[in-house]
Amino acid sequence: MIESLSLHKPHIEHWLVLSAILFAIGLYGLLSRRNAIGILMSIELMLNSAILNLAAFNRFVAPASVDGQIMALFVTAVAAAEAVVGMAIFVAIFRHRRIIDVNRMDLMKD
Amino acid sequence: MISDAVYTLLFYAIAIITIVFALAVTMSRNLLRAAVYLMMVLLTTASLYIMLDAEFLAGIQVLVYVGGIVVLIVFAVMLTRSAEMLDRPPLRRKLSAGLASVLFAAATIYIFWTSAFPIAQNNVAVPPNNTEEIGLKLLDYGSGGYILPFEIISLLLLATIIGGIVIARKTPPPEQPFTTGGDLKGEADFDAPHTQRPETISRKHI
Repeated sequence: MIESLSLHKPHIEHWLVLSAILFAIGLYGLLSRRNAIGILMSIELMLNSAILNLAAFNRFVAPASVDGQIMALFVTAVAAAEAVVGMAIFVAIFRHRRIIDVNRMDLMKD
Repeated sequence: MISDAVYTLLFYAIAIITIVFALAVTMSRNLLRAAVYLMMVLLTTASLYIMLDAEFLAGIQVLVYVGGIVVLIVFAVMLTRSAEMLDRPPLRRKLSAGLASVLFAAATIYIFWTSAFPIAQNNVAVPPNNTEEIGLKLLDYGSGGYILPFEIISLLLLATIIGGIVIARKTPPPEQPFTTGGDLKGEADFDAPHTQRPETISRKHI
């Protein structure tokens, strides 16, 4: 039992598959939610899986350097900025229209 | 050998927990609960970073995501009363979204599983001064340094602070430059429809 477990230590493919599954779940939320804040949460999930990818590549492809972790830090900062602006826009829209359903935000459609 | 076995066990356990909570984030109808599930996903991902020998990244994840973004999301859910309105997507939309994401996952996993990555051969251990290396590299202006993106990110964060305040604030303070004037009339008086604000009105008439 212990031997077989220690022989099947997760390799880079396992980490990448995990992050692909998380990204697909985020994609499902992005496409199926109607509330704009729910969509933003799904985007955070997807960004998180992208960061996991960067960290996994850093660990397995170039373990002596830290470039992947630095790029992950940049992704984190951009995600924080995006969340702040997104939330501000949603609060402003809610104050105007009392609803943040993305199906009904179609002013620029026609 | 024992540590390898424990590592494998931990990886699969944490991966399953993360996937379950991520599914809960996208399927929960109450958005406040979805925010709590999102916090759990981010915490388990932080433990995955620790398993990848990226301790600084795990700390930043807990500080920025769990301490900042999730709190912001909870505030936004409460300010927009999204927790009262349950999010029920129609079945057709659920099916098409599920089909799209399953197809995406299948294609990506197939590509990941069949391609060969340039793995570092002698599975060298990560140097213990990981965090110190990150700090040195972020402020390094030689070749391979990251000083320029670092400065650009700080500029982006500054712009975000100002943008967030300008977009989300309720009323423009009077006698201040750079007010757009667009939100003077209707929207600012939404909560108290008949309040007159003599400063702004007099300024407009002048």
